[in-house]
Amino acid sequence: MKRSYVGVLLLCTILLLNIVFTQLMVHQFYYEHYATTLVYGGLNILLFPIALLIYRKEKHKGGTHGHEQ
Amino acid sequence: MSDRNNRVPFDEDNYTHNINRNNERMLDRRGFMKTLAGAAGVFAISSLPWGAVAAKELLGLGEKEYPHQKIVNVKDIAIGDSVDFNFPSEHDSAILIRLSDKRYVAYQNACTHLRCPVYWVKEEKEMVCPCHHGKFDAGTGAPTAGPPRRPLPGIQVEVSNGGVYAVKVKRYEA
Repeated sequence: MKRSYVGVLLLCTILLLNIVFTQLMVHQFYYEHYATTLVYGGLNILLFPIALLIYRKEKHKGGTHGHEQ
Repeated sequence: MSDRNNRVPFDEDNYTHNINRNNERMLDRRGFMKTLAGAAGVFAISSLPWGAVAAKELLGLGEKEYPHQKIVNVKDIAIGDSVDFNFPSEHDSAILIRLSDKRYVAYQNACTHLRCPVYWVKEEKEMVCPCHHGKFDAGTGAPTAGPPRRPLPGIQVEVSNGGVYAVKVKRYEA
């Protein structure tokens, strides 16, 4: 029974980045730095396809059901 | 009686009936990853409105001139006094302060900390938020003490025909 938690860790990192970027985005918005707001918003949106990609790549890897491959 | 344990209890074609599969895969590795990817999607979608409003401001679409609104007659406000008014809509309370003979300043008076109304304290020449003793500089609207970190949004005023008029909401340049 081999385990592969690389995907889980990567996705957790993405979630962390999402939280950080959202926080920065909202703060920059209220400081009226609109260009910076757009940058952080863009990064936030960019993280979604990356997360999907990682999920698709890692979905069948390892885990407790590795023998089902 | 003798072949009691030799029979499959009910008709089926697999040998996993003794495994209780209920909730077995409720949150396995793959399900967890799916949740995380979904969360990324929620974050992406929820940052769209912020981006849209920020883009609108950048393109100058938010620079809206409101119909000029008379706040007070010049003769009714002494130097060092303040008047409360509502601008641009009746739900946005604001404050006008006459700093000197010719100098009038006006700000949205919702404290940038938690939106308590900010008052002008004439004796100390300071704008004070009563909730957590945030203080603002009357000349610029910048916070000088207490919890607020952002300046009060300014309102551009104009003096004509013996009256003070609110013209538009100024954008703060940081």
